[in-house]
Amino acid sequence: MKRNLIIGFILIFVITLTGGERFSTDKVKVPLSFDYYYSYEMVVSAVKKLHKAYPELTRLDAVGKSEEGRMIYALTINNPKTGRELDKPGIYADGNIHGNEIQAAEVTLYLANYLLTNYGKNDQITSLVDKKCFYIIPVINPDGRYHFIKDGGTSSSNRGLRRPKDDDGDGLFDEDFPDDLDGDGNICMMRKRDPDGDFKTHPDDPRLMIRVKKGKKGEWKILGSEGIDNDGDGKINEDSEGYVDPNRNWGYDWAPDYVQSGAGDYPFSGVGLKAISEYVVKRPNICMTWLFHNTGGMFLRGPSTKSQEMYPRGDIEVYDFLGNQAERIVPGYRYMISWKDLYSTYGDFGEWMAMTQGTYNFVGELYMTDQETFSTIKETERQKKAIPDEDEGGRGGFFGDKRLEHERLRFDDHLNQGDSFVEWKPFKHPVYGEIEIGGWAKLSSRLSPPFMLKDLVHRNASAIIFSAKHTPEVSLEIQKPEKIGKGLYKVRTTLSNTKAIPTMSFHSKFKKLYPEDTLKVSGKGIKVVAGGNLIDKYTDKVLYKEYKPSVQFLVIPGFSKVEHQFLISGKGEVKFNYFSRHGGKLVKTITLK
Amino acid sequence: MINKLLITIFSVPLLISFLIGGQTGVDLTKYHNPQEINNFLNDLVKSNKGITRLHKIADTPGGNKVYILEIGDQIRMKKKTVPGILVTANFEGINSISSEASLFLINELIKDKEKRNNFTWYILPVGNPDAAWRYFKKPLYEDNRNEKPANDDKDDKTDEDGVEDLNGDGVITLMRVKDPEGEFLSIPGNKKLMKKADWVKGEKGVYKLYSEGIDNDGDGKYNEDGPGGVDISINFPHLFKPFTKKGGDWPGSETEVFGLFKFVFSHDDIAMTMNYGNTNFCLIPPQGGRKSQVDMAKIKVPERIGKFMGIDTDRTYSMKEIMEIVKKVVPAGFEVTESMVASFMGLGAVVNPIKGDLKFYEKISEEYKKYLKKIKLDDKRLDPKKARDGSFELWSYYHLGLPTFSMDFWTLPKVEKKKKDENAITAEKLEKMTKEEFLSLGKEKIEKFLKSVNAPKNIKAEFLINGVKNGVMTPKKMAGFMKNMKKPEDNSSGTPEETAIIDFSEKKLGGKGFIEWKHFNHPTLGDVEIGGISPLSKITPPPSMIGDLVGKQVPFIFELVKKLPLIKISDVKVTDMGAGVYKIKAWLENRGFLPYPTEMGKKNGRISNVIVTLSGKGIKLLEGKKRSIIKSIGGNGTKLVEWLILSSDPTSVKIKSETSIASSDSKTINAGGKK
Repeated sequence: MKRNLIIGFILIFVITLTGGERFSTDKVKVPLSFDYYYSYEMVVSAVKKLHKAYPELTRLDAVGKSEEGRMIYALTINNPKTGRELDKPGIYADGNIHGNEIQAAEVTLYLANYLLTNYGKNDQITSLVDKKCFYIIPVINPDGRYHFIKDGGTSSSNRGLRRPKDDDGDGLFDEDFPDDLDGDGNICMMRKRDPDGDFKTHPDDPRLMIRVKKGKKGEWKILGSEGIDNDGDGKINEDSEGYVDPNRNWGYDWAPDYVQSGAGDYPFSGVGLKAISEYVVKRPNICMTWLFHNTGGMFLRGPSTKSQEMYPRGDIEVYDFLGNQAERIVPGYRYMISWKDLYSTYGDFGEWMAMTQGTYNFVGELYMTDQETFSTIKETERQKKAIPDEDEGGRGGFFGDKRLEHERLRFDDHLNQGDSFVEWKPFKHPVYGEIEIGGWAKLSSRLSPPFMLKDLVHRNASAIIFSAKHTPEVSLEIQKPEKIGKGLYKVRTTLSNTKAIPTMSFHSKFKKLYPEDTLKVSGKGIKVVAGGNLIDKYTDKVLYKEYKPSVQFLVIPGFSKVEHQFLISGKGEVKFNYFSRHGGKLVKTITLK
Repeated sequence: MINKLLITIFSVPLLISFLIGGQTGVDLTKYHNPQEINNFLNDLVKSNKGITRLHKIADTPGGNKVYILEIGDQIRMKKKTVPGILVTANFEGINSISSEASLFLINELIKDKEKRNNFTWYILPVGNPDAAWRYFKKPLYEDNRNEKPANDDKDDKTDEDGVEDLNGDGVITLMRVKDPEGEFLSIPGNKKLMKKADWVKGEKGVYKLYSEGIDNDGDGKYNEDGPGGVDISINFPHLFKPFTKKGGDWPGSETEVFGLFKFVFSHDDIAMTMNYGNTNFCLIPPQGGRKSQVDMAKIKVPERIGKFMGIDTDRTYSMKEIMEIVKKVVPAGFEVTESMVASFMGLGAVVNPIKGDLKFYEKISEEYKKYLKKIKLDDKRLDPKKARDGSFELWSYYHLGLPTFSMDFWTLPKVEKKKKDENAITAEKLEKMTKEEFLSLGKEKIEKFLKSVNAPKNIKAEFLINGVKNGVMTPKKMAGFMKNMKKPEDNSSGTPEETAIIDFSEKKLGGKGFIEWKHFNHPTLGDVEIGGISPLSKITPPPSMIGDLVGKQVPFIFELVKKLPLIKISDVKVTDMGAGVYKIKAWLENRGFLPYPTEMGKKNGRISNVIVTLSGKGIKLLEGKKRSIIKSIGGNGTKLVEWLILSSDPTSVKIKSETSIASSDSKTINAGGKK
């Protein structure tokens, strides 16, 4: 008993020692480094240190707490000298909504770090920071990130919210997790030598297995993830954490768990998610949003289910413009439509953003395992031509191509010195007896080796920056008043948007999510007799507004102008006020003599 | 009459509870405003500490508190062993009688131990207090939205153009204005009712209709942005419609609804819901007929998925077949569930009541009709409303998977069409007539008959008489033609609801149900007439009727709760197999009429399984499980659980069954080696 206690202490000591070194918040310094992955505490330290280093350009908000009480932080980048946050187009970026998809947070941290450290040094960045407002939530799911780093797991563990759920219907909650039997921090696969098994050793690499042809003798039986039958029900690892998927719990087009697993009990049952939704709603200037995940190398736009209406044509044009450019910025990534090119999701964050908040939203699926290459140019060409033998494990696609896996192993051997793969080792299992444990490590597959991280975060942050540059930039021109009668003047105004994103999305306009932009004409000694949209300046064709001509409602599409004509009587100062949620505020004054 | 009953917001809340020997009474001769109801609840809890508990679930935008009152003997227990009944009322806010019904129920439960026994009662008397207040304020108008500020017309101001009581009569009705672009005209048979002109019938519009008020913001529209935000009764998740004027931004966007979400999901003992509002699932079972995407027996696999799984997409598959196919293509060790496959395929949600559940609804409806007859409330009445998309009722059935009932207590009495002249000729009579009998009717009667069946104008009585005389036509033939002819339209009154309110107003409200049109000089519209059906009179019976309606109908819930599933161990049998091996069989019985769970509950998997455990000192399980799972037991049904155990020494074996909503049970038996 006492011995066990001592061993326990030693173990804790070793863990804190090694963990302490690797994940020490002391390591976090501004400018931030991107050659390793941050723990949750390090991310918190990073945003705090960025805020401390640039207090005049940043604000740090505690958005709310997670299920286990961890704080969700938001960093705002805005130059108050050039205007209030809400008066500038807002760009929102977040990551790590799925606890295991950790490099997503690094992309947003990199964006913050890049904008701040280049402010005043690089003209484009300086101008961007002066004109826009950036909202950055690096980690949406702090419990997930915390447990992913700390606990043993696979690259897919700790994805969800820490909301217990009885997955196997036995009345007990989260009682049978996978177990890190060999204590190496990874949940790998278990296999057992068995002639009745479906798999045999790959002829080219003994670490891999391939399915045997029908009727042929096998060599291995795959027993699933590393673990024991914790609750003694005859099943192994059948009731792990959750599962409530934080990206299926949002209020737009939400569907219950039987329609889609991971939905949660009701929209916004996740306490952190609810807090984030409230944070977003209070910032109506947000017009461009980026939500990062892994994996697959994709920039996804909605709709996220087929049953939903198609997006308006005008919005698709904007998405195409930004999406095509993102494909160029991040080579190999594909710009796709969520439901059509991937699969349907109900109640995801991105669709809630686009549909209820009226933003243009991209979901970035970071990293592709086929970036782990180990071939000469000739070998690559030969491989492309080769026809895979399905029975030899050549079946490609979603569930893994063995040829690709083979190449990834060699990549791991020679570029990552074997860090990504855990060699098969014997283990005595309480149920299965002599087995072997091995396979891909936790920090692999969905996560690039750290040496590739900097390229990934820079390119993806650049895709955000490109879209940020294309949030609306509106200018107001007022033509010289033309006297057309006794004390009556004709005044024409031109509102121009020089960027790609409209001052209100077409969807928001059609669904009347919120009021359109306004152009208000006012002045003490004047009266707006008539006013309206000038649709043909040569033939003087105006759609005069019958009531309240001094207040005009409008939207300026991307790369477009909107003109108005007012008939104003009286004299003195005339003030023109333009207000737009996404296009900012403008005031101009003229004088009628 | 209703006017007299209005209580302004400033009036001191009347004390509605009084104590008679520790028992609480409720005044059923008046409607109670939300503040009075909350005071009542707070007082009640103070004087009944042992059996009541008050839960505040929300603070509304209008500054009201939403409470759920818990009544029962297990209110302090963390894990309750008796089923919970959730009774909700007045999500519409304008259904005042539903709140009174909940007060009556509370009173019944407090004063009668027998009634509250064996259950925990959760009662939400006012689901939408912001809107509920409107009945007690002047002017009276019909609006079921809470007080969340909303920019209805999406202009530059919020809540800037509401209604005004221009003629000062305390109620908001309609304004009709003669206008060249008018779309409405008065109904020929009843000049005070308005209808939309139908050009096909040669009608031309005369009036424009507006709600009573002025154009406060000068935008040419009247009362287009009054105070008020979201209709709580359609803010629930099932079939929630986004982008509507009153439904809210997303399901549960309103604190009233979100608070209820949290409450329900932290009370897994809730076994049944009953909503008091405008639907009546006791009278008319929940309706289907919605277009559905899902047919689990015939699933169409989307092409892109079929391609990738290598299967033929021209045919359909059962869920079982798909599960088999998917299992083959996922990596080893990866567990596939139906819900995973359903979401991957994008199969969507169930939208129509499941057949098995309709069986119990239909049976209960039969019983309820008999019950109404017994209590003499079976007069013909207008139908209850259909459950709306996004309503509490649909959420409760489809998402919670619970037996969901509702009651509406009152609608206007149906006005029967006037009895026809008994001497008049009908097609039926005509059919049996001989040639001679027909001819003896005479020209005048036949002419009248033709008119009554809407016969074409060119068919004259003479023409028929001649036809019959020379044998070209027979009365029977004629009857056949007449039967096929379109029935004449009744142009004398409006919709059944309008007819009913006019009739009810004259008979029971002293004419106050309809405000006669009167001229008014409107600041921008000029000469208008103000009048129309008085707000809420269609849905709010006069206070004198509350006692009878509520007192007689509410008690049906005590019949319903008797039908809830109740899972007990009916029998246990031990067979000695020799050598210390014993076969144990336990039968689990559902003593209730209702199935455990409902078919919908089975489908959505929300209702926890019946867990049967077996324990005993020194026993070893050879077959069977420590925790056996029973997913369902039908109404009055039985399920068997078996174990094979090894026990060399005599021991007592305990078999325990547990459910969250249908009680628990245990039985101990002796097994093991002989002494």
